[in-house]
Amino acid sequence: MKSLKPLLCSTVIAGLAAFGLQAGTRSAQAADKTVISVAYGETYVFDTEDLTKKWWYGIKSQFESAHPDVTVQLVPIGGGYDDIINKLSLLYRSSRTAPDVAQIATPVIGEFASSGYLAPLDSYLPSTSWWAQFPKVIQGEGVYQGKVYAVNTGENDSQLYYNMDMFKKVRLPVPWTPHNWNDILVAARAIKAKLPGVVPIWLNAGTSSGDNGILQGAGNLLAGSDLPTIFDDKTGKWVVDSPGLRETLDFFHSVYSEHMGGQASDLFSPSAVTIPLTLLQQSKVAIVFGSNYYGGNWTKLICSPCWPVAAQVAGVVPIPTIHGQAPNAATTVGGWDLVVSSASKNPKLAWELVDLMENEENQITAANWAGFVPASQEFVKAPDFVNFAPPYNAVSAQVLPVGVISPSSPDYLIWSHGLQEATGAFVTHPDTTVDAAIGIMSNYVTNQLDPSQVETLK
Amino acid sequence: MSADSLELDLERRVGGGHTSATGSKSRWQDGIDVAAILLLAPAVVLLLALFVGPVAFAFYLGLTNISLVGPTALHWHFTGLVNLRKLMHDQVFWESLRITGIFLAVSAIFGVTVVGMVLALLIQHAIAWLRVAVGAIVVVAWMLPPITAALLWYAFSTSGGTLSFVTGTHMDFLNAFPMTIICLANIWSTAGFSMLVLAAGLRNVPSEVLEAGRMEGASKWTIFRSLTLPIMQPTIVTNILLVTLLSLANFSLIYIMTAGGPGNATNILPIYSYQEAFQFNKLSYGALLGDVIVIIATVFAYFYVRASRRTVLSV
Repeated sequence: MKSLKPLLCSTVIAGLAAFGLQAGTRSAQAADKTVISVAYGETYVFDTEDLTKKWWYGIKSQFESAHPDVTVQLVPIGGGYDDIINKLSLLYRSSRTAPDVAQIATPVIGEFASSGYLAPLDSYLPSTSWWAQFPKVIQGEGVYQGKVYAVNTGENDSQLYYNMDMFKKVRLPVPWTPHNWNDILVAARAIKAKLPGVVPIWLNAGTSSGDNGILQGAGNLLAGSDLPTIFDDKTGKWVVDSPGLRETLDFFHSVYSEHMGGQASDLFSPSAVTIPLTLLQQSKVAIVFGSNYYGGNWTKLICSPCWPVAAQVAGVVPIPTIHGQAPNAATTVGGWDLVVSSASKNPKLAWELVDLMENEENQITAANWAGFVPASQEFVKAPDFVNFAPPYNAVSAQVLPVGVISPSSPDYLIWSHGLQEATGAFVTHPDTTVDAAIGIMSNYVTNQLDPSQVETLK
Repeated sequence: MSADSLELDLERRVGGGHTSATGSKSRWQDGIDVAAILLLAPAVVLLLALFVGPVAFAFYLGLTNISLVGPTALHWHFTGLVNLRKLMHDQVFWESLRITGIFLAVSAIFGVTVVGMVLALLIQHAIAWLRVAVGAIVVVAWMLPPITAALLWYAFSTSGGTLSFVTGTHMDFLNAFPMTIICLANIWSTAGFSMLVLAAGLRNVPSEVLEAGRMEGASKWTIFRSLTLPIMQPTIVTNILLVTLLSLANFSLIYIMTAGGPGNATNILPIYSYQEAFQFNKLSYGALLGDVIVIIATVFAYFYVRASRRTVLSV
């Protein structure tokens, strides 16, 4: 036993030395590696946290395999929309914390670019295969002062969903193809008259959902009105009264003064924009102004809520323009984009990471797992996307090119809030007139900005 | 100051504080107590660094054009009275101030205090097991996190909730009477604190005084109005001020239930400040609105300190 002691001691010492050497080498190797950080929404953007992790860890793995000397550092940001934007704003305040790549919401691209936080991407874009496939309107969403600072990584647009069983019961045509706004109201009135207890039409109103309520509600009507201007580029002023706004609010007036809209508690709920998913499944609503992600949410994979027979019950059509004028489809468009930090020490690598995320496989996976429409007009035709949630994905892809992007300015959210208050007034006081609603919006926006920053269009 | 002199100073204080030649060495000529300053220093430094400094900076930010993101996120500057002028002409601010006043007056100053007093009187006269049970339930309501209280009241007061079921209607009480429901929710979640404070005050009312009132033939109401309430006045004032400060900081309850809506019906100042700073990205204006909240809280805190001193002196 005695003779074994020195041997045991030397083995332990040698082992520790070897471990220390290995650890040292490993840390030296880690120190040699280039780190590219990427910040993204952890709980809000994708449909589930598991899918978020799966997609982002997949990206990390793909990039690190292709670049063995690079480590991708994931920076997940929890919370909702405002939390993601606020956290990114704080991260970008210092070059030490600014992520090399970030996923940011379309409406704030201009603000981040104007802060000097983002690097222009124009020099990289011509060499990609996917950029030329983006519709012009989506290429334009990342432009600030003539330069491209962001590329889209998934859009949301809107459609009309309708319950085909209810339509058949009240002898409305199935498939239904409304040619103008009046066709929508006529169908809703028929439902109200013959199917009591059912919400004839779901149209988001009020402030509880923030700008999402506009993107999935009034914004679609305004986009299909006679004058959809939100911000007048010629005068640099916000439009608070126009024929387009009056037509939009008149539609709200018809819906809510005739008691065809949803319940106030649902409309004013913080989760208002997702309530129609369940109402449609439970056959409690006939027509819905809803977002493209509905079809995906009903699939077995996302299951929020599960509705295997959705395609046999819930029809989908583009939202028509007010009189059926060309292109006779109207929708807002808003989504998430990828940006590269101006403070990045490795902008080329950061761009390569963006390029990887924009490839067909990753974009279609992101679209299916996050309820997006891929921006590339080639990817939207891919069977993996179209067949993920038929027939919904095909319709959302069809209307994407005619979509309207919201102005990228901090003051847009004030304008949007004014319109949210105006639409909410029809719910709380169904006798609200269009003039009164315009007054509510105009007063709010004028008070928040300045009389010199707003205008009326005739 | 050496350790010896500190020891001497402490000895002098424990010994009755008489002034001696040795003791006078530990004081500066103008009579400042060095030991007291040294002992207070850490607290003062922390207070300056973690409270006075940030508040002062927030007041300064209120007079700048800093934004959360945008051209003035990094390159911001002092803009003088621009934001103050905007505040003076901001209709939403004045409406928000009015709503804040109503919320504090109805729920904190009146509601919570009255309910707290009623509960305190009830448990004082209740049999032991009932006192314990009611006290526990009310205190649990007070201890609940604001998010839980908000969700409970949201489920209770919206269409299809308990309130509409009990009243046999499909009415959406939260959106029909938003401020009333918010005030009730605040009273429900804060009354436990008020009950504890007032119950402690009630126990300190001398029984001899109440007995004398009864012997004089005074009714229960007269005894309560003319004897109990005046004796408890300092406790009631303290309670009102504390509850007011608690309610002013109760951002979560309203934000979760209504987010300030519908319209601006429940848009109290903390909600409006958050909206300007973190939704519209106007950090400077949000900071200015926060400053107004600090001023309101300071006024209440001043009266609270005064009331506390009076209570201590009367004891």
